[in-house]
Amino acid sequence: MEVLGDLAGGFGTALSLENLLFAAVGVTLGTLVGVLPGIGPAVTVALLLPLTFNFEPTGAFIMFAGIYYGGMYGGSTTSILLNTPGESSSVVTTIEGFEMAKRGRGGAALATAAIGSFVAGTISTLAITFLAPVIAGFARSFQPADYVGLMVLAFVSITALIGRSLLRGMISLFLGLFVGLIGIDNLTGQQRFTLGVPQLLDGLNVVVVAVGLFAVGEALYVASRMRHAEEEIIPVRGSLLMSRDELGRSWKPWLRGSALGFPIGALPAGGAEIPTFLSYGLEKRLNPKAPWGKGAIEGVAGPEAANNAAFSGVLVPLLTLGIPTSATAAILLVAFQIYNLQPGPLLFANSRELVWALIASLYIGNVMLLLLNLPLIRLWVKILSIPRALLYSAILVFATLGVYSLANSLVDVLIMYIIGVVGFFMRRYDFPVGPMILGVILGPMLESQFRRALQISQGDLTVFVTRPISAILLFVAVATLVLPYLPRLLGRGQRLVFGSGSDD
Amino acid sequence: MTTQDREPSGRREALLGPRILAAVLLGLAVLLIVSALGVARGGGYSVIGPATIPLVVAIGLLVLGALFALRTTFMPDVDLGRLAADEEAVTHWPTVGLVGLMLVAYALVLDGFAAGPLDVPGLGYIVATALFVPVTARVLGSRSPVRDLIAGTVIAVAIYIGFTQFLGVRLPAGILGPVL
Repeated sequence: MEVLGDLAGGFGTALSLENLLFAAVGVTLGTLVGVLPGIGPAVTVALLLPLTFNFEPTGAFIMFAGIYYGGMYGGSTTSILLNTPGESSSVVTTIEGFEMAKRGRGGAALATAAIGSFVAGTISTLAITFLAPVIAGFARSFQPADYVGLMVLAFVSITALIGRSLLRGMISLFLGLFVGLIGIDNLTGQQRFTLGVPQLLDGLNVVVVAVGLFAVGEALYVASRMRHAEEEIIPVRGSLLMSRDELGRSWKPWLRGSALGFPIGALPAGGAEIPTFLSYGLEKRLNPKAPWGKGAIEGVAGPEAANNAAFSGVLVPLLTLGIPTSATAAILLVAFQIYNLQPGPLLFANSRELVWALIASLYIGNVMLLLLNLPLIRLWVKILSIPRALLYSAILVFATLGVYSLANSLVDVLIMYIIGVVGFFMRRYDFPVGPMILGVILGPMLESQFRRALQISQGDLTVFVTRPISAILLFVAVATLVLPYLPRLLGRGQRLVFGSGSDD
Repeated sequence: MTTQDREPSGRREALLGPRILAAVLLGLAVLLIVSALGVARGGGYSVIGPATIPLVVAIGLLVLGALFALRTTFMPDVDLGRLAADEEAVTHWPTVGLVGLMLVAYALVLDGFAAGPLDVPGLGYIVATALFVPVTARVLGSRSPVRDLIAGTVIAVAIYIGFTQFLGVRLPAGILGPVL
């Protein structure tokens, strides 16, 4: 099979001593930053982006694969021990994970998360290996109108399916669309929303937005309540290993979680939140005897596997269509662009060697994570005992460094702080930030595909409904938006919300 | 989360914060509409010009801002009101303001800044960071200045050497320039 030959070639590249070192450094740094409370995988990748500026692309992406996995694993550590999820997709993990930690089984919870992530990551990488080339081949026939359909679907599902309020999700999305429009219109050269600031002509880098929203926003939020919040850190006592019983209860949720996570992550609808909620609900139904609410290991194993699988799944639309469907994928797209690479159907044709080295490094990153992290759990936990005041000062230093080193620009840093203030208020009033990040990166892409589609059709708007692919995608998008309200429209019940489906 | 919010309870609601937010959103939307109308229309060759989407986004933001304003006044969002009240009860605004000030000061002294009458000297990465960490930690409630100063210095030196020597990223040397 051609795929296996390509993959073998990828391993040939990735397995050099230098690249293995990059993978190890990536995993370690990723975990180190990801374990900081409130810092999820997206910010981890954004903050560590400058590290790779002067690497050649293959080495850089191998390191990124490591950072990506490390960041995700670090995130589950804080969810379990500190009850502070770094991203919305880790929220479910806290429910049972934190309970397990309180009952002295934090070690086992971390272990099931780590091994579950490894299992899910490996299964998903296998799926990527065989699926991505096929989808990339299929996507070559995509027209601009089809891309419009894809992106509209991504917007709708990200905004409508997560968060507690559709209105606040939409506001977040539109703020992102506005920020994405800032700069020079690349079709006509007109300035838009630049307010006459010359540094805004090139637009805002999504890294600036992501670091501001997540890292600075979070730090300001914690600062605002520093005098009241008493953080509870659970020491990891007892064995770090799972008992035979816990292992027996974990492996099926791992597999089921992977099976749920990957396809949902791989859909252009994307998002890792939904599969974690679904997995939690599924495990609860299938294991009624487990001690739910009192530290059921199934509730950590399933969602953690689903989370990891979905994160890997997100790489499918990113690599094959060039469409990021999560905040982390948006940052990864920036990383590609730094190296003048445009993910999409042509990437598999034009940068074959790099793509397959990247896929091979996903396997390596996974193994590396398991080998490095299981024995080092106690070390990661120590990071959590750094005093809050010092920790958040350091996070602000890293955030500033990450943005400053993009272009040594003071204006970038100040804009990032302003966005941090926006992030603070969004956090405070429960606005989801994911839609805003995606708005920033997908908005301009959507606009240019939209205009291109209309140029091809010579202004005929029906092009979006007469092309079958685009018509189907737009139909699904509308259905996603309307379905949750159907019960109410039919006169019974209230809006269905993901996550509340788990309790009967 | 959702079920307990619906229980009748004596919890306070505070919608002042969300109302201010709604006003800010509406103001931004109006500003953007004006700004979008100022974008020159494209030539006849394209169906939608450079101003179309900005206008759509700006109007969308206006509509959403108006809906949000509605949810904070005539059709109050009870969940949001309670959330805002809980937040208000624990928020210590001076800390937020001071951290914000520290950040701006930090950015300005990194490499210096001069505009009009304002002329901030550049301290360089190491000195600026070594000072920022302990002062910010103090603002955040730390009571161990010596420990924080040491931590800040270690972080600053480690990042500076790592980035400039091994990663090829330029960071301002500032007043330590002659030594480094």
